Amino acid sequence: MKKHIPLICLCFIALLLTSCGFGGKGEFKADKEIAVFSREDGSGTRTAFTEIFNIVEMGENGTRKDRTTKEAVIAKQTDVLMSGIASDRYSIGYLSLGSVNKTIKLISIDGVYPTAETVKNGTYAVSRPFIIVTKKEISPATQDFINFMLSKEGQAVAAESYISAVDNAPEFNSSMPSGKVVVAGSSSVTPVMEKLKEAYIEINPNAIIEIQLSDSSSGIQGVIDGTCDIGMSSRHLKDSEKAVLDQHTIALDGIAIVVNKNNPINNLSSEQVKAVFKGEITRWRELIEQG
Amino acid sequence: MSKKQKRTEKFLAAMTYGAFIFTFSVLVFIIAFILFKGVPHLKPSLFSLKYTSENVSLMPALISTLIMTAISIAISVPLGVFSAIYLVEYAKRGNKVVNLIRLTTETLSGIPSIIYGLFGLLFFVTYLGWGFSVLAGSFTLSIMILPLIIRSSEEALKAVPDSYREGSFGLGAGKLRTVFRVVLPAAIPGIFAGIILAVGRIVGETAALIYTAGTVAQVPKDLLQSARTLSVHMFALSSEGLHTGEAYATAVVLLILVVVINTVSAMVAKRIGGKA
Amino acid sequence: MNKAKEKIMSIVFLIAALTSIFAVALICLFLIVNGIPAMAKIGLFDFLLGKEWAPSDVPAEYGILPMILGSLYVTAGAVLIGVPIGILSAVFLAFVCPKKLYKKVKPAVDLLAGVPSVVYGFFGMAVLVPITGYSMLTASLLLGIMILPTVIGLAESALRAVPTQYYEGSLALGAGHYKSVFSVVLPAAKSGLLAAVVLGIGRAIGETMAVIMVAGNQARIPHSLFKGVRTLTANIVIEMGYASELHRDALIATGVVLFVFILIINLSFSALKRRSDK
Repeated sequence: MKKHIPLICLCFIALLLTSCGFGGKGEFKADKEIAVFSREDGSGTRTAFTEIFNIVEMGENGTRKDRTTKEAVIAKQTDVLMSGIASDRYSIGYLSLGSVNKTIKLISIDGVYPTAETVKNGTYAVSRPFIIVTKKEISPATQDFINFMLSKEGQAVAAESYISAVDNAPEFNSSMPSGKVVVAGSSSVTPVMEKLKEAYIEINPNAIIEIQLSDSSSGIQGVIDGTCDIGMSSRHLKDSEKAVLDQHTIALDGIAIVVNKNNPINNLSSEQVKAVFKGEITRWRELIEQG
Repeated sequence: MSKKQKRTEKFLAAMTYGAFIFTFSVLVFIIAFILFKGVPHLKPSLFSLKYTSENVSLMPALISTLIMTAISIAISVPLGVFSAIYLVEYAKRGNKVVNLIRLTTETLSGIPSIIYGLFGLLFFVTYLGWGFSVLAGSFTLSIMILPLIIRSSEEALKAVPDSYREGSFGLGAGKLRTVFRVVLPAAIPGIFAGIILAVGRIVGETAALIYTAGTVAQVPKDLLQSARTLSVHMFALSSEGLHTGEAYATAVVLLILVVVINTVSAMVAKRIGGKA
Repeated sequence: MNKAKEKIMSIVFLIAALTSIFAVALICLFLIVNGIPAMAKIGLFDFLLGKEWAPSDVPAEYGILPMILGSLYVTAGAVLIGVPIGILSAVFLAFVCPKKLYKKVKPAVDLLAGVPSVVYGFFGMAVLVPITGYSMLTASLLLGIMILPTVIGLAESALRAVPTQYYEGSLALGAGHYKSVFSVVLPAAKSGLLAAVVLGIGRAIGETMAVIMVAGNQARIPHSLFKGVRTLTANIVIEMGYASELHRDALIATGVVLFVFILIINLSFSALKRRSDK
């Protein structure tokens, strides 16, 4: 028996390896339950998504209730979400249009397919602004960096993967201030902020820009607390926040509704999306028959 | 042996072999999987000094890992070794304080890293006002590895034969001189093995760091800046979801580090074994 | 002069030795100061036994019962998978494995202990999830694998600590090799093995980064092995980033609950260890 140990090990590993191949093959069975993927409570993407589709119910005296189905898988990492949808044929989820890769399938909402153009001209309604917030009084370096983001050059950087927010932006003239600018907040905004920073540092090497990845609410809170200079948010500000902060929109981002590649569905109405994410529709058949 | 006995023997043997084969295969499989996914993405550009959104270089994270490891070790080793010296050489047996120290050391070693992360966030980052920084991360880590260092130093000191001490006393040396000139040198390999284990723990740590050292991907310019270690780098890449291949490449580098650390500690352990 | 030096250094050593007491006290203090007021504000019963966790709703709900149950279930699953395999593997290493092979496989098992938890998480996400989904089962499986090195290490030394006479005596009475190991040596190493299990439980309940990548993280009472689950650790790490005010304190209070669990586990581990040392 002892002699066979390596052999048995190899067989076992081979078995495990072949099992990796499962998950993508076979026919799509419409009777199956829909596997809903969502983001964590408080992420900018989730807040924007649930508000656009009215999954969040706003009551009269300021109450707020997120009706996203409790069965939804909560992914903190975009990776977990994408690999989950890529491996589960019956799944549906949403994420930033800029992050979508080829392993998953985009679907149209109310007949409009999400692209940079449809987001910009407003026909694809599921979009959100990337906002930066600051205190009312800011350092010269912070001001200069913000001027850059809103300039022609900065907007060109943003447009590489997202959609520019400012039309006819002015050209950028740096006052070359030195100093440290701490930027913190939304993980959705971070990639474009990294690019903006790189482009800006080339123009003004005097400044030090530090980017902290967390999420929208903590970025905004950080500005209020003074732990950072610029907060990145992928959701609109609350009224209490608007009162003490300045905000600028630096780019627009579509939120894509995505399904597995083997899913035959190409289009959903916003009512259907709402019902799926509230857990009122739980089988794919109901969507396919309606559609 | 009866037939029934034989059957029992066979059954138990099969279970034992089966369990071990499972353990071993899982290990081989995890390593093969990481290599398979990561090696194709292991390009020289990943080792450039600058992290950009186009080229998510892991070099800054590697450097930050080294810096944080060095600082944590620099804090933790003197504390841990001195603490072990007290426990082994100075404390009287059955002393209440000693029991309390033992108990708290055991408690520390059982605390999960997320609790260390929370504590670091509350104490170093917020209360002491260090912000997300290399310093806050390193201090958090140094408390985390302290029990490891204490325990391995304690064992190493205990393993030094009493005849060494008696000989030194006999030659008229004082206690302090005996400890530093005779006992400690003899215990160094054991202490070193503990340090290496601690380095392994630091390299693999994530949960204690994301809310203490932050996630900035550049080489820190000073200790109050934020930085990410390799493990955090992997996690952050997966959060953005844009560079999965590079995340696996980072995993390969991490695995190589772990193998190196394990080999060194095994070599040191062998040397100790050989001596005794 | 020398005497003064001796005196000073002995005090320095004592102070160094007191750091661990100081550290534990500080950790307790900061967790409690930040966590207890939140518990009081939410109401201890609403917090510990509340079934709804909806921190960004208005009014918000902060019930962590789903997460407490989640942690317990997932840990139980991990123990069910990891402990038998771990102890049997330890038996293999201690009594079956030829010396030559041992030299090769022992470092491999040690390597399993050194693999960072994020790497386990990636493995779970890419290999286990496509088979078993984001579920309690996947989380238990992955954690079961992750606690293997802990269980194996402690169980092996517990088994080796049993005097060989036990085994030889059993052989002399006509029992087979395996029978002797399983019915004589294993029971003799009972408290050591139990300590291994307890430490394994501690590892499993405290694991964070790997779990959030495979467990699904739904904040509701877990109800199926094949459906997702959120653990206490996941609750903290997922939401700590953006939490503020009461939500943040509620997460710290979640940490306090986890800490209490860990303390109970640690104390029973120390007690067991003391018993097995005797």
